[in-house]
Amino acid sequence: MNYLPLQIIISLFVIIVVYRLIAKYREGIIKTSELIGWLAIWLIVAVVFWLPGTTSYLALFFGIGRGVDLAIYIAVLIIFYLIFRLYLKLDKQQSELTKIVRHLALNEKPKSEDLKIKD
Amino acid sequence: MLKIFIVIPCYNEAKTISEVVKRCREYGTVIVVDDGSKDNSQNFARESGALVARHYLNRGQGAALETGDQLALTLGADIVVHFDADGQHLAEEIPRLIAPIENGEVEVVFGSRFLNSKNKIPFIKKWLILKPAIFFQNLLLKVKLSDVHNGFRVVSKNALQKISLRQDGMAHGSEIVSQTVKNKLKYLEVPVTIRYNEFGQGFMGGLKIIKDLFFGAINK
Repeated sequence: MNYLPLQIIISLFVIIVVYRLIAKYREGIIKTSELIGWLAIWLIVAVVFWLPGTTSYLALFFGIGRGVDLAIYIAVLIIFYLIFRLYLKLDKQQSELTKIVRHLALNEKPKSEDLKIKD
Repeated sequence: MLKIFIVIPCYNEAKTISEVVKRCREYGTVIVVDDGSKDNSQNFARESGALVARHYLNRGQGAALETGDQLALTLGADIVVHFDADGQHLAEEIPRLIAPIENGEVEVVFGSRFLNSKNKIPFIKKWLILKPAIFFQNLLLKVKLSDVHNGFRVVSKNALQKISLRQDGMAHGSEIVSQTVKNKLKYLEVPVTIRYNEFGQGFMGGLKIIKDLFFGAINK
């Protein structure tokens, strides 16, 4: 069996990513569910590159011509979904930032000399 | 005697803020919310006799208004006026906008530039930005308003306790209208004069408002 250079490169990449994922899991940065999710994604990547036939089989099942097309469709969908989630999260953090800034602004009581000018 | 507060959100308006504060002071206590200005706005505002609350970071006009509203309520406001810092509104018109609330007719008064035929609204701004915005506002919120939120409006204490702004940017104007409708608060439009310079929302600003409203709706 001939190995394509790309297969070697992707495999190395997947190994590095999985290694880092496990390290992050041990440090408690990511949850078990997240670890499993990411491992699954990278496992699929590895399988797809080593056994391209699997995607063709699936593509046929979904009624899409080529396996590569299916892989790209799915990848785009996942990326869009992740961007959307990020966007929502960013929006939420923005509003939380506003709450902090407002809290600080309201806690600095208007100075008494300000009130004197008013009266 | 009703306690009237004028809330002025301010971001880098050092040129105009002093004059605006001095003119508004005749009609009530002025609160300037300095929204993280990089110029000397807050000092000018303070020297001119305003109470100043300061946002350490720029959070947007809606965020600044909400801060001002909350401060006004804690200081015992009965009526709160929203006013722009850039000098596009006339302080002399404040009593006219307050009157319907003082008389107990309504809870919210919106200033409308279209009810005042003397306003010279730039053609492109009027027909490409404002009119479509008004059309969609009225369609989506099921209201009949002649204008979209220019920053001049008056809100009673009762209404203010029910309205809370989550939109930090310029979409807060639509939010006030929608919360007024949702809380079944009585409202009225009063003609106001707008002096046009180079301010206000351009086309991209309009798109940003739509985007903010969209994400605001799904991110509750």
